[in-house]
Formats: sequence, C-alpha cells, structure tokens
Amino acid sequence: MIYLKLFLSFMKIGFCSFGGMTMIPVINDEVLRYGWLTSAEVMDIVAVAEMTPGSLGINSATFVGLRTAGVLGALSASFGVMVPSLTLCALAARFILQMKGNKYLESAMRGVRPASLGMLLAAAVTLGIPTFAGTGVIAWNLVLIAVITGVILFKTKLSIPKVILIAAVMGLFLG
Amino acid sequence: MEKGKRLWTIFIVMAKIGLFTFGGGWSIVAQIQNEFVDRRQWLSEEQLVDYMSLAKSFPGIMIINMSVFCGYTMNGYPGAVVAAFGLSAPAVFTIAIVTYCYSAMRENVFVIKLLNGIRSVVIPIILNAAWKLKKTAVKGKSGGVILLISFFLCALTGINKLLLVIVALIAGLLIWRGVIPDDLS
Repeated sequence: MIYLKLFLSFMKIGFCSFGGMTMIPVINDEVLRYGWLTSAEVMDIVAVAEMTPGSLGINSATFVGLRTAGVLGALSASFGVMVPSLTLCALAARFILQMKGNKYLESAMRGVRPASLGMLLAAAVTLGIPTFAGTGVIAWNLVLIAVITGVILFKTKLSIPKVILIAAVMGLFLG
Repeated sequence: MEKGKRLWTIFIVMAKIGLFTFGGGWSIVAQIQNEFVDRRQWLSEEQLVDYMSLAKSFPGIMIINMSVFCGYTMNGYPGAVVAAFGLSAPAVFTIAIVTYCYSAMRENVFVIKLLNGIRSVVIPIILNAAWKLKKTAVKGKSGGVILLISFFLCALTGINKLLLVIVALIAGLLIWRGVIPDDLS
C-alpha cells in the first residue's frame, strides 16, 4: 500500500538524518528506489522548500507524498518523518523533567547551554554568508534589509511574523 | 487553565510559528521565546536553551524535535503531539499550493525579491534571540569559553552536533561537579 510505504520510507529518512541539507542524499536514495521522483525533481524539493515556511524535512515529505499519492500521501509521509521526534525527543524530555532539580544534571546543562548558544550564533554565520555574499560580491541591498529589520527587532517589541512581513515588503523594493 | 484549551492554544500558536519559520528553522527559537517563554510563561528560558542543542543533535528534523521537547514540557505527551502537528500543518498547505504553481513562481521576479527579503531577516532574528538568551545560557568565565569553542567549531568545521553536546555535557559536569553557585548568574 502506497500510504504505508510512504510512511515507512519517511520514518527511515527521519531516523537516518539530522535535518536540513543532510536529508537530501537519504531522501534521494529512497525516492529513486521506489521511482517516486526523478533526480531533477529531488533538486526541485530544495527550491520549493526554500520558498515555503517550515523545514526541508517536512516540506520534502509533503512534496513527495503529494506528488505520489495526493493529500493522504502527503499526510502519511509527513507523519512518518515526525516519528523520531515523537518517540526519542518525547522520552528525552520526560527524562529531563523527571530529573529536574538534580544538581548533576544542572551542572551538565550549564556546559550544554553555552554550547547551544554557540551553535545558534554559528548558524547566523553559515546562513549569512550565502545570503549576503552568495554570488561572490556583497549584496548591500540585502545587508541594508538585515540592518533595518535588526534595529526594529532590537529596539521595538514588534512580533517576529510582523518583522518578517516588513522584510518581505522591503525585499520587493530592494531585493 | 483548562487542559483542552491549553492544548488548542499550543496547536494554534505552533501553527502560526510554522507559517513564519524560514531559513533552516533557527528562527523557531526566537518565536518560541516570544510566545511561550515571555508571553505565556509555560516554558523557562533555561528549558528553551537546553532543548535547542538537544533538538539539533537528535535524529529527525530540528524544528519538529524542538516542538516535541517544548510541547512535552508544557503539556505532556498530548502537548508534544499537538505541537508537532501544529508546527507542520502550514507546510502541508503551502507546499500543496506551491507545488501546483511551482514553475510559474520559480521564475517570478516578485517572488524572488520577496524571498530575498525574508532570507535577509532570518539573520537578525537569530542574533536577536541569541542576545536575549545570553544571560541564561552563559554562566561564568567557563561558560564564555564553551560558547566560543562551540561557535568556532560549528562555524568553521562540520562537527557532529551530538558529539558536541556530549562533550559539553561532560565539560559541565567536570567544571561545576554538582555545585551550583547562585552568584555566578
């Protein structure tokens, strides 16, 4: 049954990858094996995922599911790719909440938290380079959008969706 | 608050967050911080920072992992399920639309400009979230050192995030050894 196949296939993709672009080779193997998409269509996933909100993983599951088996296919594949989160992360959250107040866990977490923040800052750099200098020259128009929206974010209490909309409108004029 | 109502709120807010998560998903951190830490206080800042690196180092999709960690903390397993489905619901709709008019959109100059604007704002969103979380995340000089090491490793090398988290866990245990001074914060 196609729905079950999509579900199992994307569950496997979920367990074997760590999100983002690392999913592409795993997705590629699976969808080519079943003949669900061609290699060119797999590359389309990346473009579509960039155009739409949400992560590459959910977006590609939806894209492949929709192409092969309609809306129900999209739901089966998306549910499949969420299985690792719904099992492993839920167990980990339970464990952490049960250990709350434990001094050794708190010590360990004091090591993890700055590492988390370092990871977040590094993401700003690795995303920033292709955004602002992807073509080899610095895209000053995009830097300007980032600076203006940055000032809005740091100085006002405007919500993030609103700031994103402002950036999109600025993109129309400056992008 | 009534349990059903709380679950519904988690679903709706996660769906809203899902609709505005662009660029690798890291802006989810800033949005969860706004909605659930600051506004509703259903999560603590410490929990948000803890879950960030765990979500990245567990298999699966980072933002879904993040929603499950936060959903579970706010409302047990039902909270986790509702959060994950809420977060991915907008994707299903937008992908359906985009798939149908994909070739038209791909070449459209307005779409490209719009997306350029959105891509640019992701960076200040991440920096703003990091700035707000710095006090919670970095305790003492050792914290600062771990931050720098982690930043350079992630920015310059393709270090495995799970390995990084495990090393940081051990470093935390060795540095603080179960003694948590309050004056460092």
